[in-house]
Amino acid sequence: MASITIEIDGNIVNAKAGERLITITDREGISVPRFCYHKKLSVSTSCRMCLVDIEGVPKPQTACSTPVSDGMKIHTQNEKAKASQKAVMEFLLINHPLDCPICDQGGECELQDVAVEYGSDVSRFSEGKRVVAPSDIGPLIQTDMTRCIHCTRCVRFGSEIAGIMEMGGTGRGEDLKIEPFLAEGITSELSGNMIDVCPVGALTSKPFRYELRSWQMASADSVARHDLVGSNLYAQTYKGLVKRVVSGDNELVNETWISDRDRFSYEGLAHENRLLLPQIKVEGQWKEVEWNVALDFAIKGLNKNALNSRKAHKLGGLASSTATTEEFYLMQKMLREIGCENIDYRLNVNNLDDPIHLDSNIKLSDLECVDNVLVIGANLRLEQPMINLRLRKAQLAGATVSALNVKAFDYNHKTNHSTVSPNEIATILAGALKVILEKNSLEAPSYITNINPSELSINLAGKLLNSERSVIVLGEHVINNTQAASIAQMVAQIAKQVNGKTLNVTSSANTLGAQYAHFLPKSKGMNTNEMLTADMSAFLLLDIYPEYDFHHSNSAVEALSKDDVFVVSLNSFNNELVAQYSDVLLPMAAMYETSGSHVNINHDMQSFAAAVKAPEEAKPAWKILKVFADLLELQGFHYENITQVSEELRHQKIYKHKQDIAIELGKKSPAIETIWMHSAYHSDALLRHAKSLSSSKIGQTNSASMNTATAKELSLECGNTYLGVPVVVSDSVADRCVFVSSNQSTDMGRE
Amino acid sequence: MIISDNTKKQIDSWIEKYPQGKQSSAVMEALKLVQAENDNQLTSEAIQAVADYLDMPGIAAAEVATFYENYNHKPVGKHIIRFCHNISCMLNGADDLITHLETKLGVKTGEVTKDGLISVKKVECLGACVGAPMFQIDDQYYEHLTADKIDDIVDGLK
Repeated sequence: MASITIEIDGNIVNAKAGERLITITDREGISVPRFCYHKKLSVSTSCRMCLVDIEGVPKPQTACSTPVSDGMKIHTQNEKAKASQKAVMEFLLINHPLDCPICDQGGECELQDVAVEYGSDVSRFSEGKRVVAPSDIGPLIQTDMTRCIHCTRCVRFGSEIAGIMEMGGTGRGEDLKIEPFLAEGITSELSGNMIDVCPVGALTSKPFRYELRSWQMASADSVARHDLVGSNLYAQTYKGLVKRVVSGDNELVNETWISDRDRFSYEGLAHENRLLLPQIKVEGQWKEVEWNVALDFAIKGLNKNALNSRKAHKLGGLASSTATTEEFYLMQKMLREIGCENIDYRLNVNNLDDPIHLDSNIKLSDLECVDNVLVIGANLRLEQPMINLRLRKAQLAGATVSALNVKAFDYNHKTNHSTVSPNEIATILAGALKVILEKNSLEAPSYITNINPSELSINLAGKLLNSERSVIVLGEHVINNTQAASIAQMVAQIAKQVNGKTLNVTSSANTLGAQYAHFLPKSKGMNTNEMLTADMSAFLLLDIYPEYDFHHSNSAVEALSKDDVFVVSLNSFNNELVAQYSDVLLPMAAMYETSGSHVNINHDMQSFAAAVKAPEEAKPAWKILKVFADLLELQGFHYENITQVSEELRHQKIYKHKQDIAIELGKKSPAIETIWMHSAYHSDALLRHAKSLSSSKIGQTNSASMNTATAKELSLECGNTYLGVPVVVSDSVADRCVFVSSNQSTDMGRE
Repeated sequence: MIISDNTKKQIDSWIEKYPQGKQSSAVMEALKLVQAENDNQLTSEAIQAVADYLDMPGIAAAEVATFYENYNHKPVGKHIIRFCHNISCMLNGADDLITHLETKLGVKTGEVTKDGLISVKKVECLGACVGAPMFQIDDQYYEHLTADKIDDIVDGLK
């Protein structure tokens, strides 16, 4: 676009021809009032608030929709502009109730702010005001539609960003209402953003209703730790409690959106089930004690069971992937200092002998520029909503998206779904690799010489070969595939051959942080599954809830519950099983209560400070671990603050336990294949305790989907349960496969 | 909620008139056709069925269905009287005539007579200002209305 100069309020401003006027005034810091315009949404020009005067144009024009041209002279503040804006304001206030004193938006309301500047102090409107009955749209968003000014930001957010149009304008003229259809409620995984975009109090946060005024709260920058994106957000706090979370801006990470689980998970912090006091188990009875007593007890136990008798190799350290990078780092440093190499965060993987190795080598912001996407084993919308949001943009811009999944999931963009059984994936990829190698005139390795590429393989290979910017996304459902490592290796090879990128989303939360912190067993150490079957004498566990976290949950509980095994548990929530096998319970701070960092899929180490203090006696885990190390009289733990820990680990290179494995294909399992996933709002402890999320549509998901033939083979029908989960018969599932998405624990027998 | 094959065929002929992938442009005609085969009424299920058939969000079809006066969301009579009350008709006494009609039939606008024969609706301009005041019964316009004329017309409805 050609560079031009225009004049705004007498100042010469540089711009590009055809740019919208409002983007220029925003860039220049010139205030133009608006309600319907939002920088990330399409222009609707429905509120008319941004009227400005343009010389030579008889009527005032809306800044949001007017493209600029060279020499244009614009007045945003002259009499004509001001009079127009005031007139629009008067119309907007005709039907708006004067209920600011009881409105949650009060104090952060765009209408209120603009009304102070442009509104009249006396209303000339003496007729009756319109009243709209509120509709119940679920446990996350409160509606007060009488306050709605029909800006349609929520409608446009739904259709343009969230990808499912759930809100709409029904009726006409004075009867126009913004509402969802069929009163089914809002089901989007990004719905909370409607609260942020609503310029008035029509859509507000339901859990936050009538709690506080925005000016009463302090706002702390923070980073969400539920997925691999690390969305930037603000934790708003009052008297030591997180009261609300709103989205932050970071174009490279989450733009300006956050997922509902990042927004509403804070509710879990105030759950009655928090672990608040240190406890020790004496003769089978739990006793609440002071910190020093608990720590002494823990040290004595570890010394007795493992350290004094030179049995550090019989000690195991396991941590949840939601831990901060600093927690991972201190815990592995301490364990390695005392000679223990049994360190792992991978709790939910069946086969750790051949783990998945795949680098993510594409930036989040570049995802929207790809022209071909292949998703393998992921329900991205729910598992990685922010990544899906970027891929959706790519799709809308013309990229083709193909998915190899056990079920044709409800993606919110156009996807070529191929439903395949997990044990077919490796062969399909091998076929595609063969086609690609042949095309590139390269010799095929021995394991694929006998492969006869299927139509699907040829099709996928064709798409990959014909695109310039491909990305292959390897998802969480592959993690327990019997050929997971081979699949990952072939994905890397295919990407290399077609100059494409790869995105590894097989694990979530802060797993990259764990790799930077070297929280993995190196040469001599045991991995999680080995520890659970070995003859261990002690464990140090960080925020682990066995019935949800372990793939082998039954054997984990069994291994940890042995009489002669001493278990020290740092937890943020009470848990029956943890209490059953632990000897010491140390209450730790949860998200927003601890400082640290999260490493996202861009490999950005994003630091955050604690927004609030942990409740009662709970302490940040990094402090607990530091004191623990001091009590063990270890050197190198003289940290005065978390920054020193972060600095130390920032120089570390990511730990890659890389090994090329011999790819073998054709292992077909005769049994019915089951993929077990936690529902999106049950993937970590904080989420499981967030009440509003749990009661939302996604949180209520608890189903074992299978097709008619599989149900028949298993003699099941709707109303029965499979592994304790209600059966749903759907022909969108691959033959002889079951896809479980459950909000229950896995102790019903995932193994 | 099932759309009959015959109606589907008619909807398809409308879809063909638009570029490929723009099948939702046929929403108005589709709603009209589905309404016609469902006692001249569109339920939420019917709107959803149309939306599903045209591969568009239910709410988007509902926006259209609730915008226009010719879609009925409540049971209607055998005949619908659409009485214009916009400026030309209003200036020519439409309001009094509407009251006259309501009194004669014993119903308010938006309601159906007890025998299910007639429903009355107030509608926006029907583009017949030259003949104001006017109303439309089913597909027929009646212009230059007076109270007597209305009595004659309405008495003749079967």
